[in-house]
Amino acid sequence: MSSWLDYTINGLIVGNVYALVAVGLALIFGVSRLINFAQGSIYLVGAYVGWVAVVQLRTPLVVTVILVAAVAALVGLIIERFGLRPLQNSVRIAPLLATIGISFVLDQLVMLTFSPNPRALPSQLPDVRFQIGTGTIGPLDLLIAGVGITSALLLFVFLRYTKLGWAVRATAQDRDAAMQMGVDVNRVNQTVFGIAAALGGVSGMLVGMYYNQIDTAMSLQATLKGVVAEVVGGAGNVPGAVVGSMLLGLVESYGVAAFGTSYRNLFAFLLLIVVLVLRPNGLFASARQAPPEPLTGTFIAPSRPVRLPRWALAIAVGAFALLPLLPVSAYVLQTLINAWLLGMLALSLTLVAGTVGQVSLGHAALLAIGAYTSALLSLRLAVPVGIAIICGGLMSAALGTLLISPSFRLRGHYVSIATLAIGEIVSLVILNWESVTNGPIGLSGIPPLSLFGYELTSASSVYWFSFAVMVLLALLQARLLTSHLGRSFRAIRDDDVAARAYGLGLNRYKALAFIFGGFAAGVSGGIAAHLYSYINHETFNTQQSILALTVVILGGLGNVAGAILGSVALVGLPEAFRIAAEYRILIYGIVLLLLVRFRPQGLLGTI
Amino acid sequence: MSNLDRRTLVKGSLAAMLIGASRAAFADSSEPITLGVSGPLTGPNAQYGSQWKQGFDLALDEIHAAGGINGRKLAYTFEDSQSDPRQSVAIAQKFVSDLKIVMELGDFSSPASMAASPIYQRGGLVQFGFTNSHPDFTKGGDFMWSTSVSQADEQPLLAQYAVRHLGLKKLAVLHQNTDWGRTSRDYFVKAAKDDGAEVVVTEGYIADERDFRSTLVRVRDANPDGLVLISYYSDGALIARQARQVGLTQTICAASSVYSPKFLELGGDSVEGVHIGTRYFPEDPRPEVQKFITSFKAKYNGVEPDAFNAYSYDAMNVAAAALRIGGTDRKAIRDAFAKVKDVPSVIFGSVTFDVETRRVKGAMNAELVVRKGQFAIWDGKPT
Amino acid sequence: MTGTTPLLSLRGVTRTFGGLTAVDHIDLDLGQGELVSIIGPNGAGKTTLFNLVTGLDRPDGGEVRLGGQVITGFAPEKLANYGVARTFQLGRVFGNLSVMDNVLIGAHARLKAVKPAVPLIGPLLELGLALLRPSSVKAEEERLREEVRAILARFGERLLPRIDQPAYSLSYANRRRVEIARALALKPRLLLLDEPTAGMNPTETAEMQALISELKAEGLTILLIEHKLDMVMRLSDRVVVMDEGKKIAEGAGEEVRNDRKVIEAYLGHGLSPATSDEREPAA
Repeated sequence: MSSWLDYTINGLIVGNVYALVAVGLALIFGVSRLINFAQGSIYLVGAYVGWVAVVQLRTPLVVTVILVAAVAALVGLIIERFGLRPLQNSVRIAPLLATIGISFVLDQLVMLTFSPNPRALPSQLPDVRFQIGTGTIGPLDLLIAGVGITSALLLFVFLRYTKLGWAVRATAQDRDAAMQMGVDVNRVNQTVFGIAAALGGVSGMLVGMYYNQIDTAMSLQATLKGVVAEVVGGAGNVPGAVVGSMLLGLVESYGVAAFGTSYRNLFAFLLLIVVLVLRPNGLFASARQAPPEPLTGTFIAPSRPVRLPRWALAIAVGAFALLPLLPVSAYVLQTLINAWLLGMLALSLTLVAGTVGQVSLGHAALLAIGAYTSALLSLRLAVPVGIAIICGGLMSAALGTLLISPSFRLRGHYVSIATLAIGEIVSLVILNWESVTNGPIGLSGIPPLSLFGYELTSASSVYWFSFAVMVLLALLQARLLTSHLGRSFRAIRDDDVAARAYGLGLNRYKALAFIFGGFAAGVSGGIAAHLYSYINHETFNTQQSILALTVVILGGLGNVAGAILGSVALVGLPEAFRIAAEYRILIYGIVLLLLVRFRPQGLLGTI
Repeated sequence: MSNLDRRTLVKGSLAAMLIGASRAAFADSSEPITLGVSGPLTGPNAQYGSQWKQGFDLALDEIHAAGGINGRKLAYTFEDSQSDPRQSVAIAQKFVSDLKIVMELGDFSSPASMAASPIYQRGGLVQFGFTNSHPDFTKGGDFMWSTSVSQADEQPLLAQYAVRHLGLKKLAVLHQNTDWGRTSRDYFVKAAKDDGAEVVVTEGYIADERDFRSTLVRVRDANPDGLVLISYYSDGALIARQARQVGLTQTICAASSVYSPKFLELGGDSVEGVHIGTRYFPEDPRPEVQKFITSFKAKYNGVEPDAFNAYSYDAMNVAAAALRIGGTDRKAIRDAFAKVKDVPSVIFGSVTFDVETRRVKGAMNAELVVRKGQFAIWDGKPT
Repeated sequence: MTGTTPLLSLRGVTRTFGGLTAVDHIDLDLGQGELVSIIGPNGAGKTTLFNLVTGLDRPDGGEVRLGGQVITGFAPEKLANYGVARTFQLGRVFGNLSVMDNVLIGAHARLKAVKPAVPLIGPLLELGLALLRPSSVKAEEERLREEVRAILARFGERLLPRIDQPAYSLSYANRRRVEIARALALKPRLLLLDEPTAGMNPTETAEMQALISELKAEGLTILLIEHKLDMVMRLSDRVVVMDEGKKIAEGAGEEVRNDRKVIEAYLGHGLSPATSDEREPAA
C-alpha cells in the first residue's frame, strides 16, 4: 500500500502550503473577529514584489524575504489604518464587505501594473531533491514547512507569554474593557495586521517560487482554501490553523485517490460544511462550551429607510414599462434586461440577507438550480417554457433551502462562509454529475423564451416579460414584508435570542425566507437559461453572488425598491463606463469600499 | 534629368493623381471599416484578450501595408466581456445596433459565445469565433462561423503522434475539466483506441488548480507508459514539473494548446523532452509562418508568438478576406464567408470553409519536442 | 402554600462549564400567583438559572417542571407556547422594529389564523396565508394591535406616542419598558424578569416597581432577579439567595436579610446587604 504513503505525504505537502495563508487568517481573526478576505490579495502582492526582487533587482534570498515582508507589512498597515479602522464602530458586516472590496482593488492594481500573464518566479534555493516515499521534495518544501510551523509557534508564544500578546488577546475578547485597562487598541490592531500581512506576503512569494508560477488569479484560490483550513482548525486558533491545513490537504489527497481529481474541491468544501455543522468552533474547541453571550449589537446598521411615496414608485414602474416604445436601442434594452434578471436575484438576497440577516455568499447556486431544472425540463421532456421556468423556481426553493439548511444553526460570519462553500459545492456537483447536467460540456440548444406558444425573441418582448416577472415578485415580497412574516424575519435578524424566546423557531422562518427567495432566484435563473440558449457550470458563479451582495448593500438591506435601484445602477454604470475598460473592476471595488464606509445602510436605507 | 526619368516622373504623378482620384471616388472611404470584438480584457481570462490584441494588431499592420480593404483601413473596437455571458449578450446587442460594425469576432469561452449567438443570428451580424471550440457553436445559425480547430480533426493528429509515432501503448490522459478539455479528451480517447492503444486512466482537473501531486500518484498507479496533456501552458508546465517531482519518468505528449514560450519559461528544466503536437513551429518553412513569426518578433521586442496569437492573427486575415469579397453589407459578408478560398493561414495552411458545418476542415501538423529549452522538430529519436 | 402543584418546580438543576459549576443542584418551587425574587452577588448564577429554565441553555442535571409537566431542555420557542415569558439582563429589543412591532412579536406564539397547526406543510400554509391575507388573518392582526395599544397604555404617555418609532431611537428606560410590554403581549402564565430596573433612576425604578406590583395583583406568577433590595423586600412573597451557584438561603425577605450566611456572602464579595445600594424612593 505504498501509494497511501505517497498520498499522505502529498496531502501534508499541499497542507503545508495552505497553512501559510491559514495562519495569517487565524491571527487576524483572533484579534479582530474578522475574516480577512483580502489575505489572498496580500499574498499576491508578496509574490509579485518577490518577482521584482528576484528577477529585476536580483537580490539575494534573505534580502528578498525582508523586502517582501516589509512591503507586505506596509500594505497591511495601510489596509488596517484606512480601510478597516474607520469601520471599527460600524456594524459587523462592514469589515467583512470592506475586505472583499479591498481584495478587488489590490488584485486589479497588481493586474494593471504587471499584466495578467503568468510569469515564472525562480527559486533562489539550491536545486537538491530528497527522496521521500517514491517521490521527492526539495528545499522549498522544507522552508515552507519551517516558516509555517515556526510562525505558528512564535505567534502562540507571543500571544500567550508576552505583554503585547496579552494585550492582543484582551482586545479580541472585549475591546472596550481592554481600552479601559489602558491597552492601546489601535496599536495592537496595527501590530497584528502588520505581522499577518508580512507573513501573507512572504507566503505568496514562497508559494510562487514553489510552483515557479505567479499570476493574478492565485489570490482567490488562496483565500478560499485558507478560510476552509482556518475554520476547520478553529477560527482564531493559530496552531489549529496549521492542523486544519494539514487535514484539508489530506482530505483532498485521499479524495483524489478514491474518486478522482475532478472531485478534489468538492471534498474540501464538504469538509468545511461538516465541521461547521458538527463543531462550528473548529475541531479543537470542546463540544459544550459556555454558550457565547451573543452581542446585542446587530449585524445590521440601524437606519431610517427612505420611504418612497407610492405615486413615485408607480411613475417609475410606468416609465420603465413604456421605455421599449421609445426609440431606444436594443443595447439599452438588453442592459436593462440584465438588470431585471439581476434584480430578481437581488430581491431574493435582500430578503434572506437583509430582512432575515443571513448574509449568503453562495446565492448564485439558486440561479443555477433554477436554470438547469428549467433547461432540462424543456430540453428532455418538452415541457412548455413558461411552466419549466416556474418549475425551476419551485425546485430552487425546495432544493436550495434544503442545501442551505445546515447553515441555519450558524451565526454571523460563519453563515457567510458556509453559504460560500455550499455555492461552490453546487457548482462542483453540476460539473461532475454528467448523466444529468452534461458536465462541463453544458446544455446547448435550450429553447428560447416563449409564452402560450408565442416565441419571445425581440429585445422588447424579452424586456417586458422579465420586467413584468420582476415587478410581480417585488410586489409579492413587499406584501410579505408588511405581514407578520416581515416583522418575524426582522426580529430574527435584529436579535435571534429574543426572537426565540417569543416563539419564533429559527429554522422555520429561515427556511421560509429561503423558500420564497429561492423561488425568485430560480425563476431568474430559468429565464436566463432560455435567453442564453447555452449554460454550463461556469455560467452562474461566485462572482454573481458577490455582485448580488453589492447590489443589496447599495440599495439597502431588506429594501425591495433598493434592490431594484441597486441592480439598475450596478448593471448600467459598468456599461456606461465601458470606456474605462480595464479600470472597471477597480472602480467597482472602490465603490464597494466607499459604500461600506460612508453609507453602510445603503442608498435607500435598511428596512 | 534624362528623358526616362522625366517620363517616369510624369507617369508616376499621373498614376498618383488617378489613385488619389479613385480613392476619393469611394464615398466615406476615409472612415475605417470597423469590426466588433467581444472578449476578456479583465477577469480570469484577461491574458488571452491581450494575446488576441497582439495577433490582431500584427495582422492589421500587414493588411494596411498591402493597401487595406479595397483602399480602406480596417479597425476593431474591443469590448470587455470578461468572458461572462451576461456581458457578451449586452455587447452583442450593442454591436448589432451599431450599423458601423460589419462583423463580430469572439468570444473567448463557449458560454459567453453561445449565449450571444441568438442575438447575432436574429440581428443578422456574423459572429466569427476563433477560440471557442464547442462543437455546437456553429449550430446557432448561419451567421455563426468558426476557424477554431475542431477537436475532431486535432485529436487524431495528437493520437497519431503519441501512439503510432512515439509507440506509446498505455496512456494516461490529463485534461482541463472544461467543455473544450472534455470534448478533446473524448475525441483523443477514441482516436487512440482506433490506433490500437489503451487509455488506462483519465483525470479532469479545474483550470486554476496548482497542486497535481496526488493526481499524478493516481496516474502512476495505473501504470501508463506515457502521459498525454490536454492543457494550457500554465497548467501544462505545473503538471510537467510535478510529474518529475513525484517520480514519473514516462514520456509526456501534449496538445497544441501548451505551445507557447511561456510553457518553456514556467516549466524550466522539467519540460525538457516533452512532445507537443502543434500546428506550426519556429522553423516551419511555410512562408506564411515565417512571415508571422518574424514580424511578431519585430513588433513585440523579440517575444515569440504562441498559439493564441496565431489564432487571432489568422482570424483577422480571414475576416479581411471575407470583407474583400463581400464589401460592407452584413448579409453579403455572411455569404462571403462561404466564398472565402485558400486564405494563407498559420494554423491551417490555407483556409476554405466547409459550407455545411461553417468550420474549416483539417489543420497543419507539426511534431515538436522540447530540446535544450527550445521547441524543435522531433527527429524521430526517442527522448 | 396550598396543596396544589406549584406552577414552576426545579429539582437538582445543575450546570457546569469546564471546571466551574455555575448552577449547583438548585431546588425551587414557585406557586401560582407568587412573586419570588432571586438575589445574590454578581456571578452567583442567577441569569444562568434563568437561561436553564427558559430553554436558552440545557441543564447538565436535574429537572424543571411547569404546571407538573417536565419541560427540562425544551427550546425557548416551544416554551413560549407554554406561556413562559422573560426579559433579559442587558435588555434585548428589536432595534430596527417599531415599538408596535416589538410588542406584536410578543404575541407571536398566540397567532392562530395565520399559523395553522398542521404538520409538515404548516410553514408553507403560513407563507401562503401571509401573502393572501384572508379576512380571518386580517381580523386577528387588528385584534392583536388593539391589545398592544392597551398594553402600552399601562405605561402612560411613555410609549404610546412613540408607537411607530424604531426601538433603537428610544431612551434606555423606554426600551426596557418595551421589553416588559412585549412579555405581557404573550399573556404569560409565568413571567421571568432579569434585573428590570438595572440602570434606571429612582423615579423610573418606582414606576417599574408599581407596575410589577399591579401585575402581581392581577395574579401573574413572577420570578424576579433584582439587586435593589428595598424593591425586593416590598414585592416578594419569598426571597431566594444564591452564591457561587448554590442556594444559600430562602424565606421571607426580613429573615433572609439578616441571615448570617447571606451577609458573609455579600461581604465576601465586597457588598453589604443591610444597606441597599440606593435610598428608598418616597412612596
